[in-house]
Amino acid sequence: MARMKFLCDAERCIECNGCVTACKNENEVPWGVNRRRVVTLNDGVPGERSISVACMHCSDAPCMAVCPVDCFYKTEDGVVLHDKDLCIGCGYCFYACPFGAPQFPQAGAFGLRGKMDKCTFCAGGPEKDSTAEEFKKYGSNRLAMGKLPACAEMCSTKALLGGDGDVIADIYRARVFKRGKGSEVWGWGTAYGKPPQGQPAQGGKT
Amino acid sequence: MDKVREDVLKKWTPEEVERVAGVPPEQMKRVAEMFAKNRPSSIIWCMGQTQHTIGNAMVRASCILQLALGNIGVSGGGANIYRGHDNVQGATDVGPNPDSLPGYYGIAPGSFAHWARVWNVDLKWLQGRYAPGMMSKAGITVSRWIDGVMEKNENIDQESNLRGVVYWGHAPNSQSRGLEMKKAMDKLDLLVVVDPYPSATAAMAAMPGEPADLNKNRDVYLLPAATQFETSGSVTASNRSIQWREKVINPLFEAKPDQTIMYLLAEKLGFADQLVGKRDGKQNIQVANGEPVIEDILRELNRGTWTIGYSGQSPERLKAHMRNLHVFDVKTLRAKGGVDKETGYKLDGDYFGLPWPCWGNAALKHPGTPNLYNTHLHVMDGGGNFRANFGVERDGENLLAEDGSHSKGADITTGYPEFDHVFLKKLGWWDELTDEEKKEAEGKNWKTDLSGGIIRVVMKNHGCYPFGNAKARAVVWNFPDGVPQHREPLYGIRADLVDKYPTHDDKRAFWRLPTLFKSVQEKYKDIGKEFPIILTSGRLTEYEGGGEETRSNPWLAELQQDAFVEINPRSANDRGIRNGDYVWVRTPSGARLKVKALVTERVGADHAFIPFHFSGWWQGKDMLPFYPEGAAPIVRGEAVNTATTYGYDSVTMMQETKTTVCQIEKA
Repeated sequence: MARMKFLCDAERCIECNGCVTACKNENEVPWGVNRRRVVTLNDGVPGERSISVACMHCSDAPCMAVCPVDCFYKTEDGVVLHDKDLCIGCGYCFYACPFGAPQFPQAGAFGLRGKMDKCTFCAGGPEKDSTAEEFKKYGSNRLAMGKLPACAEMCSTKALLGGDGDVIADIYRARVFKRGKGSEVWGWGTAYGKPPQGQPAQGGKT
Repeated sequence: MDKVREDVLKKWTPEEVERVAGVPPEQMKRVAEMFAKNRPSSIIWCMGQTQHTIGNAMVRASCILQLALGNIGVSGGGANIYRGHDNVQGATDVGPNPDSLPGYYGIAPGSFAHWARVWNVDLKWLQGRYAPGMMSKAGITVSRWIDGVMEKNENIDQESNLRGVVYWGHAPNSQSRGLEMKKAMDKLDLLVVVDPYPSATAAMAAMPGEPADLNKNRDVYLLPAATQFETSGSVTASNRSIQWREKVINPLFEAKPDQTIMYLLAEKLGFADQLVGKRDGKQNIQVANGEPVIEDILRELNRGTWTIGYSGQSPERLKAHMRNLHVFDVKTLRAKGGVDKETGYKLDGDYFGLPWPCWGNAALKHPGTPNLYNTHLHVMDGGGNFRANFGVERDGENLLAEDGSHSKGADITTGYPEFDHVFLKKLGWWDELTDEEKKEAEGKNWKTDLSGGIIRVVMKNHGCYPFGNAKARAVVWNFPDGVPQHREPLYGIRADLVDKYPTHDDKRAFWRLPTLFKSVQEKYKDIGKEFPIILTSGRLTEYEGGGEETRSNPWLAELQQDAFVEINPRSANDRGIRNGDYVWVRTPSGARLKVKALVTERVGADHAFIPFHFSGWWQGKDMLPFYPEGAAPIVRGEAVNTATTYGYDSVTMMQETKTTVCQIEKA
């Protein structure tokens, strides 16, 4: 069984926001809710770098750990999903997440936030696969159709890779070897655990 | 090339480059070495080089640099001008310019005779449509239509002023001098907008201007046009590859495809038959359900556009390419084997999209040309050489290629002029034409022989190039500056450079209009004291062109919600401006733009940048009430070109949007 992961190659990201647009369009995400965003560091000066950020579907997901109603679950593919029928919009997950992934559709009086929304790795939610109910709450279920997330598929420079962790780690390793730099993958240590000294990264091949 | 080298070495010492352009000698040296030691390399630009008073010189300088480095005619090299929209190249090729018929044939009487034959239209009828002397006289460019309306009649080089304007898929906010454009719009008798969106033109026209400018009898029409998803047809990319695009949905609401709108207009105006080439029992373009058949339109173009080899890309070949994308190599663009299941067409050897020139007719099966001027390949393999377009000799110098310089396998191993019936007979190749071809080719050259026979014999039988084999031209003697020269812009902040690098003299009649250079520059020589920041403009990733369509798309609109000016921290701090503040940007045009400040090191302390995709605000006011109901884009903002100033390229008349001056104040 594949272990799904995202990887963003900061040497390649050109801040085109194609991933953001693909996500919005694929899942019909409303204005103001950003399942994915591009963050640029040192904007406008030499050394400027951008990365595309969304839910990383962590191995040991902090959101799952803190949720008081236990609305999160993990699929066989390692994708972290949640049940909007259970979610009470408390926002704990937002504070726990190192990537700022959880989004809330409202900002009403008394801290009313509405049901949490986040990247599903284009894998829908607990409803029956590829149904109208599932789409309305969670957006597209591309994995059920045998497709990978729209954001990574749309990426014009293939900076953003989404898929089986082993496969994308191999692609990245080949790039690092060829260009001789950039072995640090932003966010991987946080999301998927740092490798113990002298051992290969989790999910990576030796 | 020697003249160019001499001129550049004499004038442009590293110190002088730094003084004028601000590029330090070490940086210049590093860049020069990078180019010299890494070949091939490609230079890519968009409008940053072209939209200046010296745009033509900058573009030629880039081409000359690439020639000097040997980066032309090789894979990975080239001087690449990227187009801003998906079919700008295709639109240019079919001849929207006021000095040319389709395929860059020009507007000489012979060009009209050629196209009248292709169009199956009576040449006498065509001639009758023009006022005496106007048929072969280059018209007013789109950049200057406002002057065609407003210039005093005695100053313009045509009988009457412009009275009507049709905006067909064109954004007014991509053109400079917005304040004057609004006045011109109000003075017109007729204004037509053909577009999927009413566009900023509709709102600008509806917005009240000065009462004295308004022509009370003006009529404004909005004709909804189909988007690319609602029609099919060919589309040409920047690399000259052509793709066939299929219709995805039927046109929504009242929208119609462009070709249908053209046909309906022609019907009303009484030349529908001529539009589709219906005469003497023949009809070039069939009409189905009121829509001219798009395949037939391309076939007609194929039959006439020999100049740039737009002749071999039949709809059948293009469609076969689209059905078999997988057989093309993504690096070389070339098909390895492959047979189209539907038609049996063999794809082997074709370059994807048959990048022009794809010479001769479709039956010649030329594969297209992925890199121009590549002498390393046979001409039937996509090879070629420089064109003999400027005569054979000048000032005693041979302009044709020297001995041994020719495309691979050519029968003629030295320079040669372009081919015509006389040259073919002299070479003894005439009898290789079929009888049918001979009948058509007699008295013609390769560009006007509708049989394609001359091209077939020259290329297939003898490996030569139809347009001759010559040297590239570095010094363009018929341009104002044969060797490209730097000249200061009309509005600048460096009065100290104007004496040494003055602009051109004013021109009395240039594309039918008086065009000012030196008188503007002299008048505003010290304008930098009041407007000390250079203002330039350009694009964003999120929006396209004038932006009306993309700013109406919620996914894109959310990403860029405000028009902004990029300003350096030093200039911002001196002016009490913080990131995100509203500011007023003023220019010598008198316009004031209210935009947000984006404080960034991306621009220097004497520079500011505003993206040009915004419209829908006019000097601080939202134009929402002036859009047709429900048709306003989600995001509206100041158009930078409301404030850009006078200035036009000395050859092409391209508007100068990339350089003016401004002052910025906290709002």
